Amino acid sequence: LSSELELQRCETKVRNLSPHAFKFYMEQHIENVIKSCDERENRRVQLEKEMKKIGLSDKDQSQMRKMLSQKESNFIRLKRAKMDKALFRKVKTIG
Amino acid sequence: MSFLFGSRSSKTFKPKKHIPEGTHQYDLMKHAAATLGSGNLRAAVMLPEGEDLNEWVAVNTVDFFNQINMLYGTITEMCTEESCPVMSAGPKYEYHWADGQTVKKPIKCSAPKYIDYLMTWVQDQLDDETLFPSKIGVPFPKNFQGNAKTILKRLFRVYAHIYHQHFSEVVQLGEEAHLNTSFKHFIFFVQEFQLIERKELAPLQELIDKLAAKDR
Ligand SMILES: [Zn+2]
Repeated sequence: LSSELELQRCETKVRNLSPHAFKFYMEQHIENVIKSCDERENRRVQLEKEMKKIGLSDKDQSQMRKMLSQKESNFIRLKRAKMDKALFRKVKTIG
Repeated sequence: MSFLFGSRSSKTFKPKKHIPEGTHQYDLMKHAAATLGSGNLRAAVMLPEGEDLNEWVAVNTVDFFNQINMLYGTITEMCTEESCPVMSAGPKYEYHWADGQTVKKPIKCSAPKYIDYLMTWVQDQLDDETLFPSKIGVPFPKNFQGNAKTILKRLFRVYAHIYHQHFSEVVQLGEEAHLNTSFKHFIFFVQEFQLIERKELAPLQELIDKLAAKDR
């Protein structure tokens, strides 16, 4: 049983990481957090502008808003699916 | 609680009478309690218009887990059975591990063991498709918010341990601005959606107040 526990310990989620890799990641990450927030808002504003320009009906407008929201939502779900698997391999090559 | 006063009062960096400009120590003092970037993190944590709250909490929870995992990965060599025989956050707070599922009776263990259990447990939650669906169109389970709250509550303890027991090492590695930014983002997020109870945040309450005040 104790060797089994040792083995588990080897497969632990916590790995050594160089401070350089962590710092690099955080700097990029925070920049991305701010950027994606701005970009998402821009896409929303852009849609509103264009809908106004072509004079869509209220019903079509709310339909378009729903479509954009769904797209954005799917996007962050896919981001989550990719994140934990790819992240650590990627960081290793940087650090 | 050296983290509260910046590197100025930390044991490793006692101020000398004259520290020449441009040295590493000078930079550290200048950047005490610094955070990265100038962007508005308060706005960035808010639920985007039309977004599903569960989806938003899920992606951010995975994000924070990754950050904390990496952060702790930079100090694992300093967080040992000898240096941290108990999982603590200052003298007033001590944590015993129980996940409520496989480990029901809390185990008193060292910080590295505790954090290992904790991170493994969180990773298992995040990998569980029934708890954190990753395929398009699959709905979140009913108890998702409750689950996420438990995960975030436990992740907070890793920050609390690092701030209380390893801040001087973090300063030595030159990553205190990165830690502060990561923690600030985390706190803004849990505050926005009230995901962690106030009493759980007590070990870092003063720091939280300080970070929040700077942003107003
Ligand atoms: Zn420790």
